[in-house]
Amino acid sequence: MNVLSALVRRLLQLIGVMIGIAIVSFLMVHLAPGDPVSLLAGDRTNPAVIAGIRHQYGLDLPLWRQFIVYVGNLMHGDIGRSLRFQQPVAELIVRFMWPTLFLTGYVLCLAIPSTMALAVIAARRPGGFADQTIRAIGIVGLAIPVFWLGIMMSRLFGVTLGWFPVSGYGVGVGDHLYHLFLPALSTTIWLVPVLTQSLRAALIDGTNADFVTAARAQGASEREIFWKTILPNSVLPTLNLLGVMVAFLIGGAIIVEIVYAVPGLGSLMIGALLGRDYYVVQGLALVFAMATVAVTLIVDLLTAFIDPRVRV
Amino acid sequence: MRLSLSRVGYAAMAVLGAATLLAAGPGATPAARAAETIRIASPYQTTTLDPMRSSTAGNIETYGLLYGHLLLSDPQSGAPEPGLAKSWDISADGLTYTFHLRDAEFSDGSPITAADVVFSLQRIHSDKKSAYPAPLSAVDTITASGDKTVVIKLKTPFAPFLGNLQIWNMGIVSKADVTRRGAEAFTKVPLSSGAYMVKEWRPNEKLTLVPNPHYWRKGYPKSAATVELKEVISPETRLAMLKAGEIDVMRAVPWTQIDELKALGTVDMKLEPSTTIYMTLLNDRREPFSNPKARLAAAYAIDNKAMTKALTRGYGVPANTTLPNGVNFHDDDYPGIPHDIAKARELLKESGMAGHEVKLLAHSSATDQQTALLLQAQWQAIGLKTTIVNVDHGAWVDAIHKGDYDATAYWWYNETSDPDLAVRWAVCGTCGSHSYYTYYENPKVDELVEQGTREADPAKRAAIYKEIQKISTEEVAQIPLYYAPNATAYSKRLKGLRLTPSLQWTLEDTTIVK
Repeated sequence: MNVLSALVRRLLQLIGVMIGIAIVSFLMVHLAPGDPVSLLAGDRTNPAVIAGIRHQYGLDLPLWRQFIVYVGNLMHGDIGRSLRFQQPVAELIVRFMWPTLFLTGYVLCLAIPSTMALAVIAARRPGGFADQTIRAIGIVGLAIPVFWLGIMMSRLFGVTLGWFPVSGYGVGVGDHLYHLFLPALSTTIWLVPVLTQSLRAALIDGTNADFVTAARAQGASEREIFWKTILPNSVLPTLNLLGVMVAFLIGGAIIVEIVYAVPGLGSLMIGALLGRDYYVVQGLALVFAMATVAVTLIVDLLTAFIDPRVRV
Repeated sequence: MRLSLSRVGYAAMAVLGAATLLAAGPGATPAARAAETIRIASPYQTTTLDPMRSSTAGNIETYGLLYGHLLLSDPQSGAPEPGLAKSWDISADGLTYTFHLRDAEFSDGSPITAADVVFSLQRIHSDKKSAYPAPLSAVDTITASGDKTVVIKLKTPFAPFLGNLQIWNMGIVSKADVTRRGAEAFTKVPLSSGAYMVKEWRPNEKLTLVPNPHYWRKGYPKSAATVELKEVISPETRLAMLKAGEIDVMRAVPWTQIDELKALGTVDMKLEPSTTIYMTLLNDRREPFSNPKARLAAAYAIDNKAMTKALTRGYGVPANTTLPNGVNFHDDDYPGIPHDIAKARELLKESGMAGHEVKLLAHSSATDQQTALLLQAQWQAIGLKTTIVNVDHGAWVDAIHKGDYDATAYWWYNETSDPDLAVRWAVCGTCGSHSYYTYYENPKVDELVEQGTREADPAKRAAIYKEIQKISTEEVAQIPLYYAPNATAYSKRLKGLRLTPSLQWTLEDTTIVK
């Protein structure tokens, strides 16, 4: 496996993706109705004042000229300043990125072991009691909207029982774990059924495969067969699914971040969209694109590591 | 085979269990840590710290904490009281105001001089980025006379002038600092002339303030507590935070949550007086509502008493005129436009607009959606084909400015108890806002608006504003819906904190009960 050439190829791919995202996000925010300046200044501000400020920021230029300026700045590594806060977009994104990454990692720590456990138990006897129960609970977990579950859990575990905080991110790793527990759990409850169904199906397939029979005939122990034969052959589809989900979580943790007032990228995105803070929205779109490419790369590398037949 | 699979399963469950335990481990006590912090959660964001640049609710509330004013207002009567100006004289012709400044300092210890005051007021008056120069529209010149005297000359006598100096954007900033740093002066930690100064601003999350040690009112803020203004969009989350003790104040309590909070022993659920009015804008520049009879029909079709009860659970007051009931000279006795469907149908028929399409813009909050549905149902009943179009505020402002709507329900409030800025904003066709972009215009009303500011005698002013309310309500400049109090829930450990009708927190008077 040539990791280096894979990296180079991905890097080239990334450039293409970034150009596409830059164009699409630029057009989407600029063509949507609404104006950052009038939202900042407030309803009572005279349109003449708004026009003056738009002129100062170059927002009255034709769209193609604004795009050239934007791309020119991007080339110099400058993704701009927030029109509202007058702070660099990069600084804002970095500040809001940590809670989201921490939450994503937290969700993985909760979701991967539980997925493994549930899938293995369910696959043990397909159609059996445990399998049916896990499937039924999984469907319920999938069907409950995350925002509703979030609100209910914050009411029960946060307000009524007082076990966990209902908002924020805290200071220090222990505090982060404590503050983000409910958001992570809400997300996990939705994520685990998806992954479990995928892994369960693959495990059942794997258990009945010819190569398992062959391994057993060769006298391998059941433990060996599971770890060395069934699992590696079954985990790949779920790993790829997980990759998609992680990319989705980084960009899509919006709902759970709003419900638990977590200062992450999702809440930054909502604020920036509502305030038409063009450069923040565009910067976030670029970051989400990069994150997606990075996650896919990691998944591909892991896939190649687990299954040597796959070339990166 | 089965054995090993289940063993893996249980091992994995053990890992999950350990992770859960670890998470629950540091059983921190947020309540203990927050003893010296007053935490306010509001959906309204602080988006700039420059008092000249914005008039949105979140910013207004912040400015009042950071920047001192020439005058304060008496908490009860609203009458002007000494602020950074310890006294003032008004010339006999009412054209020249002379303010004598007290010895006061910015948060870095530098003196607040007449030059700073002139600089600050001139920015509001004539800077191209000034969001709301209207309160100083009557001003001719602002000059310093020595270090401690400011002279303001008006173009015409202007009754509400002292009141206007108390408005949120009239805060005093440091000339030296703003000249030196420019826009940068407001991006992180601005110099403060008010009761508090910025400790840290994390835009889109929270603003942390600490008492300004150089504040001119000695002994204020009464509490040394840090103040956190947290931005939390979701009302459900604010409610959970309040109940869990993670915040002390919940701003903008939805009507549906008031009863629940009233029943809570740890919280003061207050409905405080406001100058907020909810009303329906009608676009006078296109059919059907360019037709006066169709506007009147739309007003007769609305049962705003029933609507107020349904929407606000009885906590709002049905509106009877185009002006908020919290401003001076509101005409409490005016009967308003009654609910009369037969008359509405008849008027609509006469107007020739029966069966006409109406594009009704609606914001996304629960109350806004309910309001739109109720309006739609009532207008359908008289024969107006009403379609609801959902928008966010950005798209809403865009549509209003472009006149691309027929009707929309929204709210506004007045910065002061004086009605001048209110009538200029809502019903004056020649004052810049085109009667809140409805393009309602009546030269008689515009003339009365000007008369109202030139008249010093309160009884005569009352008569003028009564007339304005009568004409603009009868001609349906807007359809008044209801007057809404500010619904705010306070932790009982706070004493003396309230939100004034001008949307200012009285944090400097607040103490914490141990």
